[in-house]
Amino acid sequence: MLKKEQNDLLTQTGPGTPMGQMFRSYWIPALLAEELPENDCPPVRVKLLSERMLAFRDTNGRYGLIDEFCAHRGVSLWFGRNEDCGLRCAYHGWKYDVTGQCVEVPSEPDGSPYAKTVQLKSYPLIELGGILWTHMGSPEKRPPLPEWEFATVPPAHSITTKRVQECNWLQALEGGIDSSHVSFLHRGDLNTDPLFKGAKGNQYNLGDLRPVFEVVESPGGLYIGARRNAENGNYYWRITQWVMPNFTMIPPRGDHPIHGHFWVPIDDENCWTWSYEYHPMRPLRSAEVAAVRAGKGIHVKYEPGSYRPLANKDNDYLIDRTAQKAGRSFSGVEGFAMQDASVQESMGPIVDRTKERLVSTDNGIIMARVRMILAVKALTDKGVTPPGVDPAHQRVRSAAIILPPDQPFKIAAGEALTARPAVAPASV
Amino acid sequence: MNSAAEARFRIQAVTSYRRAVRVIALDMPGEDVVRRLAKGGWEHTSFLSARQEMLHDLAGQPRNLIDEVDTADLVVMIAAPGGLAYTASMIGEACSARRVMTTGLIVGGISAPEGDVSKTLMQLRPWSLMVVIADADDYIDHMLAALRG
Repeated sequence: MLKKEQNDLLTQTGPGTPMGQMFRSYWIPALLAEELPENDCPPVRVKLLSERMLAFRDTNGRYGLIDEFCAHRGVSLWFGRNEDCGLRCAYHGWKYDVTGQCVEVPSEPDGSPYAKTVQLKSYPLIELGGILWTHMGSPEKRPPLPEWEFATVPPAHSITTKRVQECNWLQALEGGIDSSHVSFLHRGDLNTDPLFKGAKGNQYNLGDLRPVFEVVESPGGLYIGARRNAENGNYYWRITQWVMPNFTMIPPRGDHPIHGHFWVPIDDENCWTWSYEYHPMRPLRSAEVAAVRAGKGIHVKYEPGSYRPLANKDNDYLIDRTAQKAGRSFSGVEGFAMQDASVQESMGPIVDRTKERLVSTDNGIIMARVRMILAVKALTDKGVTPPGVDPAHQRVRSAAIILPPDQPFKIAAGEALTARPAVAPASV
Repeated sequence: MNSAAEARFRIQAVTSYRRAVRVIALDMPGEDVVRRLAKGGWEHTSFLSARQEMLHDLAGQPRNLIDEVDTADLVVMIAAPGGLAYTASMIGEACSARRVMTTGLIVGGISAPEGDVSKTLMQLRPWSLMVVIADADDYIDHMLAALRG
């Protein structure tokens, strides 16, 4: 359980909040590069950390992320015209560049300096790995560019999708570091999903539904190890990476791509679930890309024209009670992603953690909360840069590996837990 | 629907009773941690030591292991790196026989030499259904609070 003030601290990320300050220490995914496919294309509404913004790509290909509303009368610039290196308000023609600087106020006399006095709030927007990233903190504290491996491998090695999740970001994150739910919620999909099936590791998973967990602090967050018995007295380990505050990497299976998530607050009651899939050693196969596009693995099918999942809370996630009863699906909801989202959204927009009853296997969640609370306090009280900002903390990999029984996995799997160019991931 | 509206008609009845936790030191550093914790006013947690073969309370009075385990919902064993957690097996066997959940907590384990961590892990792993390796010993304060200890 958490006290109410602790729950509020971790779940509120708007401007001026401590956790909001922490999120504003990082580069965070803002939108997919494909959402702004060409110069002077239509702008896109973006809401992050409870701030409403507009992303656009100008005539010269420069990206901008600016306050959504015109300084004049508060009209949404989404209705504006993206033309001649700026976004022009549809109401009275005020025009802004990618930095939010007003460059034209048509009602003022020619040569008037008035436009120079108008500046919308703006944030940087950079493209890396098919994602447009932003940093919403102060420019003086702008961190080095992200170095997550999935975003830095050749483009053909990686694919990323996103979906709206209708709950607070922390609920979604906690699902990602709660390895103990996999044996229940996702049972039945390991052997059938095209992005999971066929790996030897699946046999260990399905042969032992009660793994033993070890939680170990890492420089950027946590290693969460799930241990099952393997041959000859050895252990089969699945080691998940959590890097503060909102990144996870799920252990790989066989030669399938590695995958994981970012959870980015939209506001306090909604978040973006970003889902990446990459292989450090080879381009993704066409069948793998097709599976991602078809909503397999940790990805989803969408409502047309949106990033909202087709299965959502308004249709009870298309739950199939017949499949559930027949044992084809443990929850009756199709797909890993919506199995997770359905249960997490069912907790309510912001779950009341003063009422929860955690058990010992929830130590991963407990330690993640503790680390974040301490990091927020260190940041707000003393200005200490939080873990995960340093690119060294981002050069991580998850691992699935067999180790002798006396080995601390952090040491024995040490190299396997670090991203190394042209080195295959540790996977079973 | 916002959080307040969504929660409006949720039943507010108590959903479970408090659990009883035993926190047991397995070595001298563990006992130092347990002695500090015992001053914390925990309502549902008892603090014991098993660093010298037998289980005893912090005043040095012997305690019956079976009685303690029988009345526990969770047993947390605390040790430092170095491999002096010999009594983990004694406690673990008692918990295993009575189907009581066990957690092994290694404090100061992040910066300790690998060999020392390995030795303690070998002693704790067979008897712990959850293992935590933390650097600061105040993690257990947070853990007990989260578990309503």
